[in-house]
Amino acid sequence: MSFFDRFRKKSTETVSNASAAVKKEVKKDSKPAASATCPSKTADSVAAAQLKPADLGDLLPGAPPNGKINLAIYWAAGCGGCDVSLLDVNERILTIGDMANIVMWPIAADGKEQDIAAMADGSITVSIINGAVRNTENEHMVKLLRKKSVIVVSYGSCACFGGSPALANLIPGGKDELLDYAYNKVPSTANFQADYHKGKPVLPKTEFKAPEGVLTLPVLFDTVKTLDQVIDVDYYVPGCPPLQETISHMLKAVADFAYKGVALPPKGTTIGVVAKTLCDMCPRRKEYRRITKIVEPHEIDVDPDLCLMDQGILCLGPATVGGCNARCTRVGQPCRGCYGPTVAVQEQGASALTAIASLFPVLEEDATMGEDSIIDIMSTIKDPLGYFYAYTMGKSLIKRSVVEKGGK
Amino acid sequence: MSEFEPKIVVFCCNWCSYAGADGAGVARLQMPPNFRIIRTMCSARVDPEFILRSLAKGADGVVVLGCHPADCHYIGGNYRARRRIALIRMVIEQYGFDPRRLKLEWVSASEGEKFQKTLTDFVGTIKELGPTPLQEGN
Repeated sequence: MSFFDRFRKKSTETVSNASAAVKKEVKKDSKPAASATCPSKTADSVAAAQLKPADLGDLLPGAPPNGKINLAIYWAAGCGGCDVSLLDVNERILTIGDMANIVMWPIAADGKEQDIAAMADGSITVSIINGAVRNTENEHMVKLLRKKSVIVVSYGSCACFGGSPALANLIPGGKDELLDYAYNKVPSTANFQADYHKGKPVLPKTEFKAPEGVLTLPVLFDTVKTLDQVIDVDYYVPGCPPLQETISHMLKAVADFAYKGVALPPKGTTIGVVAKTLCDMCPRRKEYRRITKIVEPHEIDVDPDLCLMDQGILCLGPATVGGCNARCTRVGQPCRGCYGPTVAVQEQGASALTAIASLFPVLEEDATMGEDSIIDIMSTIKDPLGYFYAYTMGKSLIKRSVVEKGGK
Repeated sequence: MSEFEPKIVVFCCNWCSYAGADGAGVARLQMPPNFRIIRTMCSARVDPEFILRSLAKGADGVVVLGCHPADCHYIGGNYRARRRIALIRMVIEQYGFDPRRLKLEWVSASEGEKFQKTLTDFVGTIKELGPTPLQEGN
């Protein structure tokens, strides 16, 4: 029994028996819809589910006396949240060092590129790579790690689907336009350029000849790539960041494979997802309401028990594969789709778009109105491409913006 | 250089537009041969993924044809379809395509002539717009 359950039991016991009947009535009045539409998802079940502690599985085993395996963790084009999430495995973090030698982990350990390059091919048992591939350094490092590793895990939404970095693919001018915007157009940098480099803005160069030698910086790509578009990937762990249970189970599976010979799942498996969509895990009650206006969570009083889509909040739950335990929707934030599409579809964005367009009601005058009125109705969704493809642009059918050249 | 001949994908609903296309053929109406028809059970069966896949594979334009409003075999399929098409048109515009490359039109089973006119006009529009801006590797 969890702490919360005990607490609640205690608090109900202290209430006198005389008020029990009254309480029952109040409860009945306050929740008529909940029991009528979806008895399995009540406020109580929501609260209980919220407080369920994460099941992290067994502790990681220590290495046998004949030597530890090597573990590498690399950070490509990502925010660093995946690296931090790897630290988020409670007391297991203390045993990771017993389980494996961490040969590279830019955020936490000291291994450098030349240390990896000096190792024999295949001497790293597992490389966990997070972030998309968007410059020459990312590409060089992931190719190097692939050469040196037995298993490569594509970790997090950026590595698996492109994530937010891949939204840069929608800039028609590619890297030049991006750099121009970041260094010349953003108010803070525009002022700086105007004050200190008037008429001759300074942009980062990829090569600079100093008296001591040539200094180089990585070169940006025009198109951000997912990890599996650059190297061969063995396993996928989606999420922004992945759930701590998934991380813990993944590390345990690697240790069991290395030290006990337990078979790994087949190559190409996505770890930590289920067959159904997020809605299946979400504790909220569905009333199948039609919506006419899209709102942000901060614009309304979000009903804690009712489906977010019913309340007019754009939620990508119906198009996103489950596995995250509905951690965002439980706390009133809509799903943004970080776990990616289900196995049955490729385009998560198109799938979400289909589901959400169907929520708009058929109107009385629908038979007579023209397509312009439909555009008026649907334009309540302001940025469909950016919203529906927030995490999966790198994996979508059309991977970057195009420029019409004009006809004859 | 020969004139640009567009490749166009047409999704026809089984109950109205496909019969309309059939009618146009039976009546021997003259049409440009630039389009390939794919029959779907309803215009609402046309998943936005189909449209994006057509464009990704190099189609110069996509047409979705369905029953007239209030005429859908499945009561409300075309109402769903027109809402989706409005959104997907916004999406392809954000990608940088000219939104005229995607057309939604209502063609009933008896409207062979409307089918001919719609397709002839659309082929004209696409010829004006030129080939798809999508390049290899996009």
